[in-house]
Amino acid sequence: MIPSEAETAIARRVAAAREPLLVQGAGTKSGILRPVQAALVITTTGLTGITLYAPKELIISARAGTPLHEIERPLAEHGQHLIAEPPDLSTLLGTGANLQTLGGVVATNLSGPRRVAWGAMRDHVMGIRAVTGRGEVIHSGGRVLKNVTGLDLCKLLTGSHGTLGIITEITLKVLPAPEAAGTIVIPGLDAGKAVEALSAALGSPYGVSGATWLPAEAAALLPDQIAPGRSLTLIRIEDFTASVLYRTEKLRGELGFPGVEILTDAASRTLWRAVRDVRVLPMADGDGVWRVSVRPSSGSAVLRAVAGASGYLDWGGGLVWFAGPPTGATHRAIETAARSAGGTWTLMRGPDSLRNAVNVVPPEAAPLAAITRRVKGAMDPRGILNPGRIYAGL
Amino acid sequence: MITLPDPKTDVMARRDAVIAGLRAAVADEEGVIADPISLKPYETDGLSAYRQMPLAVALPETTEEVAAIMRFCHANGVRVVPRGAGTSLSGGALPMADAVVVGLMRMNQILDINYPDRCATVQAGVTNIGITNAVSDAGFFYAPDPSSQLACMIGGNVNMNSGGAHCLKYGVTANNLLGLKIVTVDGEILDIGGEHLDAAGYDWLGLLTGSEGQLALVTEITVRILRSPEGARAMLAGFSSNEIAGACVDSIISSGIIPVALEFMDRPAIHACEAFAHAGYPLDAEAMLIIEVEGSVAEQDDLLARLTAICEQHHPISMKVSQSAEESLAIWKGRKGAFGAIGRISPDYLCMDGVIPTSKLPDVLRRIQEMSDSYGLKVANIFHAGDGNLHPLIMFDANDPSSFHRAETFGADILKLCVEVGGCLTGEHGVGVEKRDLMPFQFAEHELEQQRRIKSAFDPDWLLNPSKVFPLRDPLALPRAA
Amino acid sequence: MQTNFTEAQLSDPDTAVSNQVLRSCVHCGLCTATCPTFQLLGDELDSPRGRIYLIKDMLETNRPASEEVVLHIDRCLSCLSCMTTCPSGVHYMHLVDHARAYIERTYRRPWPERLIRGVLGWVIPRPGLFRLAVAGARLVGPLARLIPGQSMTSRQLRSMLALAPANVPGPDPNDGPRVHPAIGPRKARVALLAGCAQTVLAPEINAATIRLLTRLGCEVVVAQGAGCCGSLNHHMGQHNSAMTLAWTNIQSWTKEVTNGGLDAVVINASGCGTTVKDYGFMFRTEPAEIREQAERIAGLAVDITELLTRIGYTPTRPASGLTVAYHSACSLQHGQQITKEPKALLRKAGFRVVEPAEGHLCCGSAGTYNMLQPDIAARLRTRKLRNIIKTKPDMVAAGNVGCITQLSGGGLPVVHTVALLDWMAGGPQPDGVPCAA
Repeated sequence: MIPSEAETAIARRVAAAREPLLVQGAGTKSGILRPVQAALVITTTGLTGITLYAPKELIISARAGTPLHEIERPLAEHGQHLIAEPPDLSTLLGTGANLQTLGGVVATNLSGPRRVAWGAMRDHVMGIRAVTGRGEVIHSGGRVLKNVTGLDLCKLLTGSHGTLGIITEITLKVLPAPEAAGTIVIPGLDAGKAVEALSAALGSPYGVSGATWLPAEAAALLPDQIAPGRSLTLIRIEDFTASVLYRTEKLRGELGFPGVEILTDAASRTLWRAVRDVRVLPMADGDGVWRVSVRPSSGSAVLRAVAGASGYLDWGGGLVWFAGPPTGATHRAIETAARSAGGTWTLMRGPDSLRNAVNVVPPEAAPLAAITRRVKGAMDPRGILNPGRIYAGL
Repeated sequence: MITLPDPKTDVMARRDAVIAGLRAAVADEEGVIADPISLKPYETDGLSAYRQMPLAVALPETTEEVAAIMRFCHANGVRVVPRGAGTSLSGGALPMADAVVVGLMRMNQILDINYPDRCATVQAGVTNIGITNAVSDAGFFYAPDPSSQLACMIGGNVNMNSGGAHCLKYGVTANNLLGLKIVTVDGEILDIGGEHLDAAGYDWLGLLTGSEGQLALVTEITVRILRSPEGARAMLAGFSSNEIAGACVDSIISSGIIPVALEFMDRPAIHACEAFAHAGYPLDAEAMLIIEVEGSVAEQDDLLARLTAICEQHHPISMKVSQSAEESLAIWKGRKGAFGAIGRISPDYLCMDGVIPTSKLPDVLRRIQEMSDSYGLKVANIFHAGDGNLHPLIMFDANDPSSFHRAETFGADILKLCVEVGGCLTGEHGVGVEKRDLMPFQFAEHELEQQRRIKSAFDPDWLLNPSKVFPLRDPLALPRAA
Repeated sequence: MQTNFTEAQLSDPDTAVSNQVLRSCVHCGLCTATCPTFQLLGDELDSPRGRIYLIKDMLETNRPASEEVVLHIDRCLSCLSCMTTCPSGVHYMHLVDHARAYIERTYRRPWPERLIRGVLGWVIPRPGLFRLAVAGARLVGPLARLIPGQSMTSRQLRSMLALAPANVPGPDPNDGPRVHPAIGPRKARVALLAGCAQTVLAPEINAATIRLLTRLGCEVVVAQGAGCCGSLNHHMGQHNSAMTLAWTNIQSWTKEVTNGGLDAVVINASGCGTTVKDYGFMFRTEPAEIREQAERIAGLAVDITELLTRIGYTPTRPASGLTVAYHSACSLQHGQQITKEPKALLRKAGFRVVEPAEGHLCCGSAGTYNMLQPDIAARLRTRKLRNIIKTKPDMVAAGNVGCITQLSGGGLPVVHTVALLDWMAGGPQPDGVPCAA
């Protein structure tokens, strides 16, 4: 593996750095977790371009600074797609649209509704190149779909929010984009009943690839209004056209609810894009935003437990989005609800005062926290890469 | 042969005290094995060419016993080699003379099955097929299906990040886990993940999977279980050359179909399998594909019709599309018996595991054939065509030392070739001891050092399985986590 | 695997065979998955692969068998489930048989073990003696609880007494040497292995077999001089006793072949069937004339279900409406690889046939295993009964008297497959079986 000029330049900067560095792509994710106090910025926006696209081998490699939409386009042209359906969170996070880079999406491990069936970004990162905190260019994985050679640093770096290394290039597994989508829409269920229905759907043999519940106020934010004033339980199936028709009909029959519509391909795509981009989360100005990951059957209880916030369920109940007053009280309620359900939380947006004050992700048990410190030390001995981004003082 | 680290003389000198300490940690008297005759069967695993007697074997029955063993070993500087079913093909469970083999086979209980949340929590000694068997009546299955799934244990699957024929569509072990209970080198019991997807924080689940016993011992696993499809059916097609078969694979991938399995066998593999299974394989074909699709009967019909049309574009010399579950079983029978079939025509074989970009397959097969001629050893090739994972089966005679040495070298050459053409050393069997010394072909020294540092972060004294994965270093020069 | 035998060692025919078996093993470990003792004990040493390795080490080093090896080989049920699973065709049975004989020759067991094994090996093959012993056990049985201690010997003694059945029928005249003529036109002439323990514990099995076969047009010969097949001694490593008993049978049946001709040697205890089918191998190093006779008898040996399938079975009674759980004896499914015929026949007889989960796992009977390894046998029995009861049958059918004895008293009637087939083809209703629904 020979580092590129750009990688070498970054590596030199890092090796020479004696002060904290803010690591980012286009910076659209810097509002997530804790703020980084750093005077110097290292950005990967100069590292752009697809370095390898082999549709027949189901892989695409691109430099970290490549805007995501520049990757999605050639994929679409070849009838392929990014499996994990990474969202554009510009509305949610209040950033510019269409700016996010591949590196940013991988570093934050953001995935869309399809994750529930087809895996998260981290499941499709086949290869990574990165500059470590030591100023060394390393790689893990490669350009093949199966790889268990050595420790899996692809997994470690994905979702590490720039704290362990500066990702410079990523190889992703891609798959054929489904020919069509169809959506079963069940209006009027409460969260508990909805999760049962979503569980039945996800436990069916029909390849459900999206399973979401929107309370009425969330459904009101959809581009197309389907059942105004009512909650919507949404079940997506993607496949060849004939299969979508067959499977949506069959599943609708098996679920047995009355008044259930099946959305067409076009309507489905529009709807799920809005869900993907979390544009259906009712938010007031200045609201804090959280996401909680729990076992699906606990999703409705978690939602109910946080009185002051609005929210909705994705991943069949396993992902709970919250928007609410950006206060310690809201945060504590969410933390408690997630903990009781054995799940985790992430503070996605909030004022710096909140971000600095709370555990933006669950604190680790002491022995694991010690390992975390040592791994961070192994990758970034001077602690200069996005210090304090995930854990205070780390 | 494989070099192992020098045994620690102080541990060897205190052997009796070590065994006494293990006996204090394990309740069952028969749970600690220390006499030389009984230790012998533990000197090796599925790669029986490499053998090393351990200091002792401990067979704990609970996570607490595992933790007690680790606390003792850590306090006394005793190295530990974890072991599941001992089916590793890369020597993953090969002991060291001063090491305690900790076998998790007795921890074979299914702890919980959670259908609404589509997950199951099991102990590390449950077999891979045991998980599927436990949920099959309810119409579910556990997706990663290595060929040894009858016997291999899920703890081993986690440590090796095992794959199987289904992984093009369903992913490998790492994509099918939700949580782990681990015991660290100093005996701390930690829960990683749980029953939820996407835990916040660092992806310890991802790092631990495939870590080959370098980072921690795994005692409990929460896996994802999936609803089985309505049905599945297979077809086979024989082609007159590897190039044509490879081109057919390309066409299939380009068509938008995601087959649930896409297996490639070369001529020697076809012949060996047919001799054993009498499955009706085309003996005049240079290469054969087995393709499986799933869905309702109508969906299967449709997909098989599309695949038939695609195959026909490449002028197959034979094609068989199964019309029923029985016929599908018959098609698979030969492929599933492949390793045994090779075992019947050759006294011994080495099953290699390398990955290549699928476009390079015909070239790689040609180069392998050239090597086969020059080493004087027959080879049959099985290839997971969907994901590029190649299994050359090198036939040799273990009772002839030169034969084994040639086989070893042949295997190493194949793996170097895989890396050369843009692939990697191992797709599912792991590095183990077998490929340890080839790691510098895939990673620069500073990259190996970086991985070693991460290992040190978990295991500063390098007590966990130190003879595997990383080329050996002077113990005093081993890296510390900074 | 690699083996390390000297030329001298390989000149011994048994070692030569074992070397071939060891070479065929690639140490893949798939056998561990279906081995009952590995399921229960989770120790490589109590798996087929581990035993193969222990035997290899023992034979290569020419060491006398050690206590450790004996412990783990003794624990082997010889269920042969591993042979069904092995993808490489390792003949584990021949290897472990050799090991058992080697152990018997080179290992001096503690005297209580020697005594018990000696008594078992002497008494059970002799129906007269066995009948006396069982009667004695019944008398002493209630006192079994008083046998003190937790040593293996104490547990063995207690389990032996516990296995003595409450009622032992008197000797059945059918079991003596006799010719049972075919009823109606004679279609075949077969010799029936009357057996040893079976004639004492369950003479109704032979009675049902003879009734059914004669009704189907077979002349059934219980040959003069034929008796125990030798399995029991063979599985305890008592090689010479086994060979003597086998040779007696071979001679008796050869006489029948010469005098009246035999279409088959039919065996209704699958444990015996596996051994008789192996007579050719057992006598392979004997002079040609002896070897050929052994091979011919082995070639004539069939299980009763094979014979019934061959000559054709038709029920004469209407379907009973009863559900039968078919318990597939290890010797039948693994030793002889007979899995379909018994179920097909039972279905033809009008029964609803269900199969318990984990059907490949032994019930724990395994010859004298339930006496010599009482704890493991008890655990396997419990597991098997639990699996059987889950299928909610009216009764259990099995093709081996050992299994029948082992599974009796578990809450369901357990009968031999042939007794049910006889019943549905005009014979009497077997004892303990519910009436037609």
